[in-house]
Amino acid sequence: MSGYWSGILTILALNVIMAYAIFLPVATGQLNLGGAGFQAVGAYGAAYLSAKYGFAVWVTIPFAMILTAFVSFILAFPLLRTKGVYLVLATFAFAEVVGGAILNTDALGGPMGLSVPAFVEYPVPLASAVLVTLFAFYLMATRFGLVMRAAHDDDVVTDLMGVNVRGIRVAAFTIGGALAGLAGALYAHSFSFVEIQSFNAWISIYVLLYVLLGGTQTAWGPLAGAVFFTMLPEALRVVLPALKGWLGFAIGLQGANTAPDESWRFVILGVLTVLMMMFRPEGLITRTMIERLSFRKRRPQLEAVDVAA
Amino acid sequence: MLFLQQVSNGIMLGSVYVTVAVAFTLTIGVLNFLNFTIPTLFMLAGMLVWAFSAWGIPFTPIGPMPWQAALVGAIAVTVVASLLVERFTFRFLKTKYGDSTEHAIPLVSSLGFLLIIENLIRIGYGTDTQRFSGPQADMSVNIGGIFLRVPQVVSLVIVLGIVAGLNWILRHSRIGRGLRAIAENPDAANILGVRANKLVPVVFMLTGLLCGLAGVLFAINYGEVSPQIGDDIGSKAIAGMVLGGLGSIWGAVIGGLIIGLTEMLTIHFFGADTVQVAVWGLLLLSLFLRPQGLFGHHSIGKGKL
Amino acid sequence: MTAQPPLLSLRNISKSFGGLSVISDVSFDVATGKRMALIGPNGAGKTTVFNLVSGFYQPDKGEILLQGNAIQLVPSRRRIGLGMARSFQNIRLMPHLSVVENVMLGQQARAGGVIEMLTPLSFFGRSHWRDEAESLLRDMGLQTYRGEVVASLPYGIRKKIEVVRALVARPKLLLLDEPAAGLNAAETESLTSFLEHISGTGVTLLVVEHDMGMVRRLCDHVVVLNFGRKIYDGLTADVQNDSLVLEAYLGPRDKAASTAREANPHAA
Repeated sequence: MSGYWSGILTILALNVIMAYAIFLPVATGQLNLGGAGFQAVGAYGAAYLSAKYGFAVWVTIPFAMILTAFVSFILAFPLLRTKGVYLVLATFAFAEVVGGAILNTDALGGPMGLSVPAFVEYPVPLASAVLVTLFAFYLMATRFGLVMRAAHDDDVVTDLMGVNVRGIRVAAFTIGGALAGLAGALYAHSFSFVEIQSFNAWISIYVLLYVLLGGTQTAWGPLAGAVFFTMLPEALRVVLPALKGWLGFAIGLQGANTAPDESWRFVILGVLTVLMMMFRPEGLITRTMIERLSFRKRRPQLEAVDVAA
Repeated sequence: MLFLQQVSNGIMLGSVYVTVAVAFTLTIGVLNFLNFTIPTLFMLAGMLVWAFSAWGIPFTPIGPMPWQAALVGAIAVTVVASLLVERFTFRFLKTKYGDSTEHAIPLVSSLGFLLIIENLIRIGYGTDTQRFSGPQADMSVNIGGIFLRVPQVVSLVIVLGIVAGLNWILRHSRIGRGLRAIAENPDAANILGVRANKLVPVVFMLTGLLCGLAGVLFAINYGEVSPQIGDDIGSKAIAGMVLGGLGSIWGAVIGGLIIGLTEMLTIHFFGADTVQVAVWGLLLLSLFLRPQGLFGHHSIGKGKL
Repeated sequence: MTAQPPLLSLRNISKSFGGLSVISDVSFDVATGKRMALIGPNGAGKTTVFNLVSGFYQPDKGEILLQGNAIQLVPSRRRIGLGMARSFQNIRLMPHLSVVENVMLGQQARAGGVIEMLTPLSFFGRSHWRDEAESLLRDMGLQTYRGEVVASLPYGIRKKIEVVRALVARPKLLLLDEPAAGLNAAETESLTSFLEHISGTGVTLLVVEHDMGMVRRLCDHVVVLNFGRKIYDGLTADVQNDSLVLEAYLGPRDKAASTAREANPHAA
């Protein structure tokens, strides 16, 4: 496998894990706009252990996950008492605080970043992504998953049904945090270097958006969103040169530098977001869609039974 | 004396945050909508006032313009952009289910627009910082030993004037009453004949004006613009808004000024790197401990939060 | 043998919202196994009574007793576990969950342990929870809808699903808030038979309803509220003769008109 494609697979794996990390709180109705902050905690946790103490990957990664889970857990209590727009702002503020704190901590490399000695090849993040995906599907198939989605739809009635809604939300947030920490640790060990500038607000925004685009009602959504977001630049690499010719003529590109083609990917993400929110805010893959697909298989048998009964 | 100079710099800086914070708080107060496009509109105005004066209007034969025309043009485009955002985010909101994330649909849309506008500007004009020379960029006055640059003073005066004017409109005009009715109770307002379809665009137009004004004032004051200016200003403005209390105009003013001051003082005492932690830490604490801010939570649709 | 305490007992319950008194000194009992109706003109406070009993609000004064135990301070979350379940006047199903999933939510109080929470409901083979939910749906004639996402279904169907969701909690006390609203005559008929059948299995019913035909058929006891006060507590058979009740619904008027209205409550 070429270095290029193994790089893409690594990024895909990380994006999938982050997608599920954000998916879990969002599925219960808590929009998390601070994903990058949690990822940074995991990344720096693993990086520090590896750089300072030389621990191997199978120590640093679980440590990173536990650390991030712990931070998420502590944060969840005051955080989940806020609602609506305040919650979104608070998650965003948290990520900025983490970023600012790391920036000022020389032991963590400050603005210069940290080198990470222990390295993993792409099969490790890939396998982790597969495991996380299976875990997410499993979780959504349990009562826990059911109750999460119920809390999203109507937390008052869910409470009346006997569910500790607050507890569910804290749990979802914590598990999501652990997953973000995993993504961060894998990032550290895949790219051998961490700097806080990579874990910025844009990352948080992208991941939230592609999770919402994919759909937050089922475990398929985040997977679809992550795959789309990761593969979009590849698709653009094919389409864009043709487009560029036409546009270069039209805009008369001003300014000293041409912006990297990366920017088109985000314009498209933005346009799709606006369109999706206008026409299908639940995201691309919804419960209805999954039900229709599996129901169609079962229906013929169902009607046969009714006739016999 | 240096300290006082820093304080005055902080207040001047704060006045930029104030305008953007007021835009945020107005939109949240009336529409319960955290409009993430606002910092980008600010950046758009700043970049366009430079682009129009340096390059003219794209897609047209109009070449570089004098700064006055560029200023008007930049604000005009910003207002149009803001109205476009209204058309494609808020206008389309259909609250069908009332579940936990429905309130956030316009917020998410505004994130989409943030990406679109910011990246289109990057594609069109690159990511470099550009120099802009407007009026009287270097003149300053000396008041009691403190140097105040004329553009900054003018900005502060304009900003406070706009805010006072806005407050007056909200309190005493028919439009203002309509907006406050919508903020208080959209359904009742509807029944009472308040035409939301006509008034909601007013909020977005005001948003465009405020951000446009802030953007061009920034360009004039600092002489430099880049596609990144919105990011930083946006965060500080949001912090100012939350500190002051969502929905409160004067809260946004006080909050914005406090943030500007905090920033200057933190840089003075601790160095530039600590600003991020200080401002966002302050915001996070305020959200946890006193989310309604200094002046309380105004007129937000009850029960939505 | 000592008499059983009534299953549900409200004693001198009062509730105000911001100075407006919504329930004023209301007391009544619901005996175990009985079928009771709670009726009254719109705004009388019937749904508020339900909200107080289910714990959505706390009463300002008075006590609520379930099987003799005071529950007014028990958090709403725990009340379903004590044996009561309710449906809602404006349907409150989870719009993005399927019918079966909505019903399975009703089982939550019986399935709350950690192991239960983490056991897949439909992954490898079927689970008994799903089977139970589906069989209950079959009893109500709703089995064809089971995979449908609730948001797309008609009003009458959703009303019935709410009843199933309440039933699956295996409550001792079933609180139904206008279960027949929006149903046509045939649907009301089948619902009423179904509720009679449920009552036969030992479930106590307390039903808020406007359909007097259904009330007369299903409930032998009725409590009437008006402006937050109880104005009648007795047999359904006698309620239409009570002058206070008549006045509450109709204002002071002659008897002939009120009898005609009673007989055909849905006439405009």
